[in-house]
Amino acid sequence: MEKLNIRKLWAVAALAALVAQFAIASASASETAKVFKFYCAQCHGLTGKGDGPNVTKDFPVSPRNFTNAKEMDKLSDADLKNVIMDGGPSVSKSPMMPPWGKTLTTEQVDGLVKHLRGICQCKGKQG
Amino acid sequence: MKLMLTATLGAAFLFAAASLSPVAAAGKDVFEAKGCGGCHYTEGPAREKTIDDQLAKKGPELWYAGSKFQKDWLGKWLADPKPIRPMKFNSLTEENPGDHPKLAAGDAAPVADFLMSLTSAEVVAGEVKPKNNPKGRLIFSKNMPCSGCHQYAGRKNEIAGGRSGPSLAEAGVRLNPDWILAYLRKPKLFKPVKMMPVFVGLLSDKDMLNVARYVAAFKPKKKK
Repeated sequence: MEKLNIRKLWAVAALAALVAQFAIASASASETAKVFKFYCAQCHGLTGKGDGPNVTKDFPVSPRNFTNAKEMDKLSDADLKNVIMDGGPSVSKSPMMPPWGKTLTTEQVDGLVKHLRGICQCKGKQG
Repeated sequence: MKLMLTATLGAAFLFAAASLSPVAAAGKDVFEAKGCGGCHYTEGPAREKTIDDQLAKKGPELWYAGSKFQKDWLGKWLADPKPIRPMKFNSLTEENPGDHPKLAAGDAAPVADFLMSLTSAEVVAGEVKPKNNPKGRLIFSKNMPCSGCHQYAGRKNEIAGGRSGPSLAEAGVRLNPDWILAYLRKPKLFKPVKMMPVFVGLLSDKDMLNVARYVAAFKPKKKK
């Protein structure tokens, strides 16, 4: 009888842990959307079309349009992570893309990569 | 003995912090009476911990205003405020409406005195001598993305640069050169949550000094 109770207790604990993990994952998705709007949207725009308020007629480059699945598919998740962390020049692109590695946490950057895949509705280059 | 010394120093610090010149004290009264504190907080250290905290603010924090601004500029600006940011504070979609309340000249001077009394010990005086130096220019406009978010005056005096950050076109008359360097060195001390990337560990201290000197040399160009 006692053994059964302990088993039940473990089952409840495992379920609670699962629910907690799900809650954290959900919270981080909305947190990531906030991070995107706060930092990235300055140049990439609130919907990720590359049309943020910094992009005036004399902006030297066109910030990536994340809704362009064809272009976004050419990049792997690792490429996206690299360019967010180390900036445009790390992938031979413009220095107008800042290095965010000293500003954002690794979790925030990983969240952003997922967020961008959500915008482009694409999986990106594999392997 | 040690305890006494600490207590004396502490009391002296508190006294210095609490004592304002009569003009600055009058300025503090005006600041409070006009409700300026509704948008600007004046007691440090920085309070923001999250993006939500930052977005809840209606205007920039002023607890280190005396270290950040130049007094002449501040007094004039309070009497005749012109937008510094192209976009509304904390917005990426709304233009700055330019509706900052204007103070009467008789109020602007004492409020400027009060704000200039709010300083940060992290800003070392006399370290940055404004100078249009090639290394600073290279970092500002080519190697780093500063010009992507901040306006500046181009070679033909045209306004160039991005719009999400405050304009730096006349930073040399507005900002204390030493604060620019202190902010680059310890950004989170002044603004823990901000849209600008952290450059600590990306720019050497020498490069930060070059950028600070370069930006501090941005002054209104005389019309020919």
